[in-house]
Amino acid sequence: MGVISTDSPDSAAAATARPAMARVPLARTLVFGAVALLLFLLVVLPFGWVLNNSVHDDLTGAWTLGNYARIFQSADLLEPLFNSLLLAVATAVIAVGIGVPLAWLVSRTDLPFRRTIRVLTLTAFVTPSFIGATGWILLAAPNSGWLNALWRSLAGTEAGPLLNIYSMTGAIFICGIYTVPYSFTMVSSALDEMAVELEDAAATLGSGTLRTMLSITIPLVTPAVIASFILSFIQGLTLFGVPAFLLTPTGIPVVTTKLAEFYQLFPPEIFLAAAYCMPLLLVTAMLFWMRRRILGRKQFVTISGKSRAGRRIALGAARWPAFGAALLLPLVSVFLPYAALLLVSLTRAWGQGLSWENLSLYWYWWALFGNSETHTAIVNSLLFSTLAATLCVMLGTVVAYIVERRMVFGASLFGAVATVPIIIPGIVMSVGFFAAYTRAPLNLYGTPLLLVAAFAATFLPIAYAHGGSILKGIGPELERAARSLGAGEGRTFLSITIPLMGGGLLSGWFLVFIPIIRELSVAVFLITPKTNVMTTLIYNAKDGGNYEAVCAMSVLLLLITLALVAAAGPLTRLTTVRRTSRKTGRKSAPAEGVLPT
Amino acid sequence: MSGIRIKNLRKSFGAYTALHGIDLQVPNGTLLALLGPSGCGKSTTLQLLAGFEAPTEGEIWADDVLLSSARGVLPPEKRGISLVFQNYAVWPHKTVAENVAFGLAIRRLPKAEIAERLDRTLRTVRLEALRDRYPSELSGGQQQRVALARALAVEPRILLLDEPLSNLDAHLREEMRFEIRQVHDLLGLTTVYVTHDQSEALVTADRIAVMKSGHLQQLGSPEDIFERPSNAFVATFIGANNELAGTSEGNGAIRVGGHVLTAPDRSGAAHGGTVSLCVRPSQVRLFGAEETGLPAEGCNVLSGTVQRSAYLGEYRDVLVDLGGGRTLRAFIPPAQSFAPGSVVTALLPIGSCQILGPAA
Repeated sequence: MGVISTDSPDSAAAATARPAMARVPLARTLVFGAVALLLFLLVVLPFGWVLNNSVHDDLTGAWTLGNYARIFQSADLLEPLFNSLLLAVATAVIAVGIGVPLAWLVSRTDLPFRRTIRVLTLTAFVTPSFIGATGWILLAAPNSGWLNALWRSLAGTEAGPLLNIYSMTGAIFICGIYTVPYSFTMVSSALDEMAVELEDAAATLGSGTLRTMLSITIPLVTPAVIASFILSFIQGLTLFGVPAFLLTPTGIPVVTTKLAEFYQLFPPEIFLAAAYCMPLLLVTAMLFWMRRRILGRKQFVTISGKSRAGRRIALGAARWPAFGAALLLPLVSVFLPYAALLLVSLTRAWGQGLSWENLSLYWYWWALFGNSETHTAIVNSLLFSTLAATLCVMLGTVVAYIVERRMVFGASLFGAVATVPIIIPGIVMSVGFFAAYTRAPLNLYGTPLLLVAAFAATFLPIAYAHGGSILKGIGPELERAARSLGAGEGRTFLSITIPLMGGGLLSGWFLVFIPIIRELSVAVFLITPKTNVMTTLIYNAKDGGNYEAVCAMSVLLLLITLALVAAAGPLTRLTTVRRTSRKTGRKSAPAEGVLPT
Repeated sequence: MSGIRIKNLRKSFGAYTALHGIDLQVPNGTLLALLGPSGCGKSTTLQLLAGFEAPTEGEIWADDVLLSSARGVLPPEKRGISLVFQNYAVWPHKTVAENVAFGLAIRRLPKAEIAERLDRTLRTVRLEALRDRYPSELSGGQQQRVALARALAVEPRILLLDEPLSNLDAHLREEMRFEIRQVHDLLGLTTVYVTHDQSEALVTADRIAVMKSGHLQQLGSPEDIFERPSNAFVATFIGANNELAGTSEGNGAIRVGGHVLTAPDRSGAAHGGTVSLCVRPSQVRLFGAEETGLPAEGCNVLSGTVQRSAYLGEYRDVLVDLGGGRTLRAFIPPAQSFAPGSVVTALLPIGSCQILGPAA
């Protein structure tokens, strides 16, 4: 190396030397071991049992491929598959067909009351679709539905019902309107984050508003539109509550309701059910793979620029008609069903019609205090959801940290396992947990732990992805600085990383708590009378026909959910790390939104 | 022998080799600058020194302790090495005082001692008045001082600085250079300072290690590096330089195009080897083609056409086209002036020229 002048260190001593602290600390081994074990118990084991059961015979327990053969040979089992596909396609078409124009109106134009429309769409988002379906049963059941009654009073008693919610059309309508918020949120956030300069650049080159929209704006949000189509499709495919409420009574089976049926047979055909999960799993896995491919590197969210200041497309004379159209979705997904639920819940006996004497808060009193079953379910819902969300966020965050900082060899495998539940429909998750934990040595059937674990596993991908995205925003130098000052890995994580994640962690907690408390399908095979939650109680009570109680419970669940959503924003802001001193009184940066994009 | 000893340090990331076996010595109490363009391996060297990466081969010693080898790495928190980051990495959720005291709290020092050392360190970097501020309320230069104070408070054995000034504006950068040198003189810490800015390295360092593509090019004092560069890359990287590529004619002669020029030969190249004639623009003198009686004694003489000329107040920066795709830069007295297109004669004093080989 020519001119370089260095004395070589004493190589005789160095040859056999090894740094003093090369061994792996015990705490590190314990943490990684615990994470690996939890991931195994929550994801690998239930999923493995589904696979294993699917190739065994229900009666003999022998190894067989007969379950799969049965699915493709029996028309009885093929019909639900086609129905599910129909429901999924139609749901996705409605979701994108309404969601995309709505997103454009709200994000890009001078539509009046844009914020209100946004909030109402968000309200539809947090409304469990099976509760929406309940509301619409009150509105559009062929005989007793209020809208049909109204129609008969106008068109004469001889006229047939105007609407029949107990039909494929009805189910598509409900799945569609409650899936619109997904496509709306994804596309509007893509539009919001798109750099205004990109459109300006086209304008300076002489492109008009319409031309710009067609050749710049639309292509830029196309990935978001396609991704939301896929997500909506999966939603339509995997929903359980809506078809159970609207299609089962008329004998139209879909995959999810058929799965429930296997469990109700005697003897239950649990292994066949496991095999029957596979087509559903295959389709969702394929679609998520496609979604990944589409979003891939060309992620639409990366086209961000300065915040757009006010400049919007003027709708002119179309402003108010557009507002009317934009109000249609909140009308059918929020106002009408909420009003129906509220009214029925406030009547002592629905059948006696609306009158002052019939109005009462009885059913709320009954649900909260008068009936031990509902009381237990409410307590369980809150308790299980809190525990599950906490477990989910803790595990998701630690896994995200291990993956993001590549702390062990094969860290990305941890991430892959934590992501797997995203392709597992809730009802399949339920099948898996039932299979894995209703046997020795881990018989958890009837314990709260089973539900908490199933909830946590189902929403682990959300917590993991959310944790990862927060961590991406925290430069590793901030942690390395602590390390170089003498803090170990654990100390650094607790005193630097966690405080910096701050409000983001809380918003992640709400992000999983809200879907957990409204989740029905995961719980459906796992509950026992003692571990009933609000959603399953509503689901089961509906069969009993006690609509006043069902409505009161539904309204309570909606109130709890909406209150949480309302509280999430301010709470998250409060706990967001204070980055200015009190003296100067500058405001801290606003926390990120609580709802998924 | 004490201080930092780096022995045959190699680092590969998959197929890419960032460091090709570096040997370096930093005696205790000296400030070494690792200087080079981006991708030269200087930051990798620093990450290895700090213990965030494990070497593929080679060893790092501090005094008589082995810090890193291919067989294992002493974790960063056990090394007694403080690191100041390019983007400061000041924790936004802690005040200035909390940032600086963090390392002291980790060491479980008595409260009184923490307070005393915190005060002393804040005084050293002149931040006493801002101790309760949050980083978002500080300027870039102040944040840089917090990062420095935080690293100094723990009284490390070794201080590492990773491009500490590159995010500051030019004016502040110049001021902070002297400040860092001053702190170093005050505390006498063994310091490794990574930078791509040669003037930063010249101002602050006792010794400079110039790196390129994972190879060490030269290790020496600032004067060594500037006046006796080991190769053409070092000469061009440090200060303004003309590099006329040619082939060695042996005996202190180089063939550049049709000319044979002479200069002290430090290339060690054999006859016919690839070498360059290097000369600083400030040493080049220009004369009009019509001028006679030039002081050409002891000079290489070239002629060319003025391509452009820029007035910079203290001097004129003139670019001369020598033909054959070669150009020559000259810094001439501002009183002298040549219009673009005029034909000039350039005198290159032989004593100011050097024949140098290519980069390692």
